[in-house]
Amino acid sequence: MKKEYSVVGTRIAGLDEKDKVLGNVVFADDFTLPGMLHGKVFRSTKASARIKRLDVSKAQAFPGVVCVLTAGDVPNNESVKNVVGQTTEVGLLEAKHQVLARERVRYWGEAIALIVAESLDIARDALKLIEVEYEELPAVFDPLEAMKPDAPKIHGNNNVIASWKLRKGEVEKGFAQADVVVENTYRTPRQEHAHIEPESGVAWVDDMGVINVRYAAQVIEHYRDIATVLGVPESRVRVIGTLIGGGFGGKEDVTVEVFLALMTWKTGRPVKLTFTREEMGYGRHKRHPYVLKYKTGATKEGKLVALEAQIVSDAGAYVYLSPWVLIYSTVHSTGPYLIPNVKVDANSVLTNNIMTSAFRGFGGMQVVVAYEAQMDDLAEKLGMDPLELRRKNYLKKGDVTASYQEITSEVWLEKCARAALDALGEKSKGGKTKKVGRGLACAWQSYGRMTYLHDTSNCWVNLEMDGSAVVRTGIPDLGGGQRESVRAIAAEVLGLNVEEIHVISTDSQVTPLSGTVTATRALYMSGNATKLAAENVKKIITDKAAEILSVAPEKLDLKDHTVYVVDDPKKRIPLVDAIKQCYFEGKIPQSLATFRAPFTEPISSDVIKDPVFPDFTFGAQAAEVEVDIETGEVKVLKWATAYDIGQAINVNRVEGQLEGGVAQGLGFGLMEDYLEVDGVPWTWNLHDYIIPTSKDVPDIKSIVLESGSGKGPFGAKGIGEPAISAAGPAAANAVKDAIGIRVTHLPITAERIFFALRQRGGG
Amino acid sequence: MGDFRFFRPTALEELLDFKAKEGSKARILDGGSNVLVYIKEGTIPGGTLVDVKFLEAIKGIEVREGRVEIGAGELIADIMESPVIKKEIPFLRDVLQKFANPLVRNMATLAGNIADSSPIGDTIPPLLVLEAQLVLASAKGQRVIPLEEFFTGPGKNVLEPEEVILKVQFPVPVQGSGGHIKLGLRKGTSCSVASVAVWIVAEKNSVEDIRIALGGVAPTPIRARKTESSFKAQSLDWDRISALSETVAEEISPITDVRGSAEYRRQVSVSLLAKAVRQALGMEE
Amino acid sequence: MDDLNLYDICITVNDREIKARVKAETSLLDFLRENNFMEVKRGCDKGDCGACTVIKDGRAILSCITLALQADGSKVYTVKSLGTWDKMHPLQQAFVDYEALQCGFCTPGMLMSAKVLLDANPKPTREEIREAISGNLCRCTGYQKIVDAIEAVARGEYR
Repeated sequence: MKKEYSVVGTRIAGLDEKDKVLGNVVFADDFTLPGMLHGKVFRSTKASARIKRLDVSKAQAFPGVVCVLTAGDVPNNESVKNVVGQTTEVGLLEAKHQVLARERVRYWGEAIALIVAESLDIARDALKLIEVEYEELPAVFDPLEAMKPDAPKIHGNNNVIASWKLRKGEVEKGFAQADVVVENTYRTPRQEHAHIEPESGVAWVDDMGVINVRYAAQVIEHYRDIATVLGVPESRVRVIGTLIGGGFGGKEDVTVEVFLALMTWKTGRPVKLTFTREEMGYGRHKRHPYVLKYKTGATKEGKLVALEAQIVSDAGAYVYLSPWVLIYSTVHSTGPYLIPNVKVDANSVLTNNIMTSAFRGFGGMQVVVAYEAQMDDLAEKLGMDPLELRRKNYLKKGDVTASYQEITSEVWLEKCARAALDALGEKSKGGKTKKVGRGLACAWQSYGRMTYLHDTSNCWVNLEMDGSAVVRTGIPDLGGGQRESVRAIAAEVLGLNVEEIHVISTDSQVTPLSGTVTATRALYMSGNATKLAAENVKKIITDKAAEILSVAPEKLDLKDHTVYVVDDPKKRIPLVDAIKQCYFEGKIPQSLATFRAPFTEPISSDVIKDPVFPDFTFGAQAAEVEVDIETGEVKVLKWATAYDIGQAINVNRVEGQLEGGVAQGLGFGLMEDYLEVDGVPWTWNLHDYIIPTSKDVPDIKSIVLESGSGKGPFGAKGIGEPAISAAGPAAANAVKDAIGIRVTHLPITAERIFFALRQRGGG
Repeated sequence: MGDFRFFRPTALEELLDFKAKEGSKARILDGGSNVLVYIKEGTIPGGTLVDVKFLEAIKGIEVREGRVEIGAGELIADIMESPVIKKEIPFLRDVLQKFANPLVRNMATLAGNIADSSPIGDTIPPLLVLEAQLVLASAKGQRVIPLEEFFTGPGKNVLEPEEVILKVQFPVPVQGSGGHIKLGLRKGTSCSVASVAVWIVAEKNSVEDIRIALGGVAPTPIRARKTESSFKAQSLDWDRISALSETVAEEISPITDVRGSAEYRRQVSVSLLAKAVRQALGMEE
Repeated sequence: MDDLNLYDICITVNDREIKARVKAETSLLDFLRENNFMEVKRGCDKGDCGACTVIKDGRAILSCITLALQADGSKVYTVKSLGTWDKMHPLQQAFVDYEALQCGFCTPGMLMSAKVLLDANPKPTREEIREAISGNLCRCTGYQKIVDAIEAVARGEYR
């Protein structure tokens, strides 16, 4: 029997939404301080070169320029961690990230110098006065080429900076049992986050000598990295995270904050830095393009017997989070299916392309392209319905995956797949030149960070004397309503309305650190932390009320500003009376609580044979498309997305994640490709890098299923990343159904379809 | 930043005198939509920006002497709403509906799109098949030239430094119907990969006259005259249209760029032409 | 014309006259943000994203590729002209109720396009709604609830 809640599980709007529609929110670039200076970044226009000569003197002398900073001005330019911003070592020690390029640039757009000036116009003009001479060095742009022993080396002496494997059973024996085998090589695009708000922030040194950085941050813990780079104590750096205008992982790695801190620290004045849209293109990391070679075997009854895969990701010029992204890919590579024999080899390889790192899906997304295409192609060879084949192989609760992790929550894939397919309704009719096709894709995606990172989240809740509450949480909000979820949870536990909960968040020195808004961990971690803290506060109240009412505390609950006996509601006291008594006796109704994710040991070898994630979310998407066989154009007609999210905290917000995931995912599948040709960016702005508009996304049916089996608050599972990964594959399978040809190179553009049809002799 | 000045003439003579003095250093802002982008990209280093919004001489959408005359300053959104256009040439309205998005249509003009002279200017192929002319004016006088003779290369045209576009005009079509197919990379605002416009006069699907224009497949938008001749006097059905359309591949010289390969443009232009002809003839897809 | 190529202009923004001295190439967006109308956002500065959409002389336009001088003497409205905390415009209330926003960055521009649509066409189809907002990019919502919210207002849910 599904539990009914007062706030949780409803569509009650939050408070932040009102500020947003009124235009009241002060986003990062909306903030100004008196005497504020403006920063600009000078960037490389070579993909691989030695800096022979760098002359900033003319820029420095330009009227209105306050200073120009280069690598020599940065106290710890090659920061001690490989990947600035992470608390644990990642990847090879030789691949050092540099704040500003010192001698060598490794990608087109790499930062070389910073200009700080009285106005943005002056800073822009001064950029043109910096003189640089390059000596071009050998470069490599194809990760498969970069793996070869004689390829130019980006760092150190090995371009392969991460390798992970899956080994289960024996694939040769497995394939020997197979009646059908499907082999394909898939390519996925370099995707740009394209959030509408550019990276931006303002930094200043306050009257206590603390360096403040107010910026659009998915990770306020970057204050530690700022401190490391500047060589100052961590307690002297404060990050204030703004409401973010879209992140998707684009504001997760270091973007403006280290530059800002440097500029304010050197000048002693407030400084603003906002990336241009072009700079977001060539100056900031992207999603890893992948090459995936998959060989899958099944029996004629439709049982999967073997999977062999080689996966290569393009890590770009710096390591960033590539090794972690690869772990996600490796663990998720089988798809949500039980396969007895698995051999997967995954490598992440440096190139002179733009660095690649976090993006919604984080490696779990690229593999869906491969495994869901394989399933449809196998079904076709077997003459079996695509859902029927999947149904015979879905993981179940209790199964152990090929990475030796037990599934401990419900797997409602079949329910999701059926719901999504049913929601498409009657199939649209095509025409002489328009072929209609439908596709299904199922996926799994972890939520919560990798467990060997020992993730924790803190939250501080207190009740005011008038019965309103304050929640203090470090969690950043990138638009998914992270703050509103925390508010709703506190309201539910304390029996209050959402208007009575004030949430103060995202300040590294004022709010308890709740961790990052990444890895679909925010609801799971900060939601659980808030629930814990609120329950502790509730216990303080009910313990006190129990004394006053002479009943056992377990018999009491909070609702509508009263503390009442559940079996005898007339027996109650006003909440404020219990609060007053608590304060009077020095038992303050507040709690600072820490929620701990499961802690495991680090992965012990490159063969992943340990649990890595707290849990997974399972779901399915179904798409109907129309392909114009004369031009190759795809029109998306219908879409349905169905996920088991455990328990919705707010139904509107869950649907919002599902629908946003569809749009961003179908962009990945059909139109988005951040192109670099020989390392030179071609699609660096929103004119040439195209994302779906309102005319490219159809009406979407969102189906929210609730098994209640998640590890998050009230049995919730995370949805941020799971929502996206099945979308592109659903479109790909729909195109295959429409034209009978499998296009394996994403995005599936009109041109690719056109030539695939011509090659077959169709169209 | 650049060295820019601003000028807002209130009468045509003022504008023409200014252009006579400043030449191409005076840039007319159509809606401003292109010019300001170029300034930000750094391709226009300086000059005078000229706002013509008060000039009556470049306003007006009317029919005169059997011609539809559209003032250079008329916004695309207004052209679409004009009762004259709805009555005389609804084809143009359908074409403009596909232009960019509503925000840009509130700012851009036909003259601006033409003066920009991009090979993929979306308004141009349809105007070419309507056999449009441009009325150009300078302090020395006016001249009328066929739109087809206006373009000389990507972004280049025959406009003299002291000249401005005054009007876009074309004969009110007495017979025939138009077809227009735009191939973009997404359904929303998209630069064209290629586009085809046709105007066809046919009696029971037998071609009396046909005009074909393409964009995005040559250094300028072009008329495909050889293909036009091969269509003339032909009796058209689905297969005949497809066969006749093949010749257009030889009349174009597409390039490879960020939006598509030359080979795709070459081959798909054949399909686009066939579609445009079928659309003009009202054939079911 | 003044020296140093600066021009005095006056634009009525949200019914308030704002006087300023601008360069020829100053965009309307620059003017608005420099005069503290921070609710008008800069997403790309090239007219590709629609975040800077305002209503000028009754039309929804892109302020980043409009010169401030082109708006001299005009009436310009931003999202703050729609409503206040105590009295929101039906579109604003619908956006909140239908969760037609997530990060909220595209929202000010989106609401401007929506308002102009409903002023001209009080009962648009869903397709017409999608067309009207096709110049406003949103990366968070997938547009579904934005269309739902605008349709709800058109349907009379907020009379």
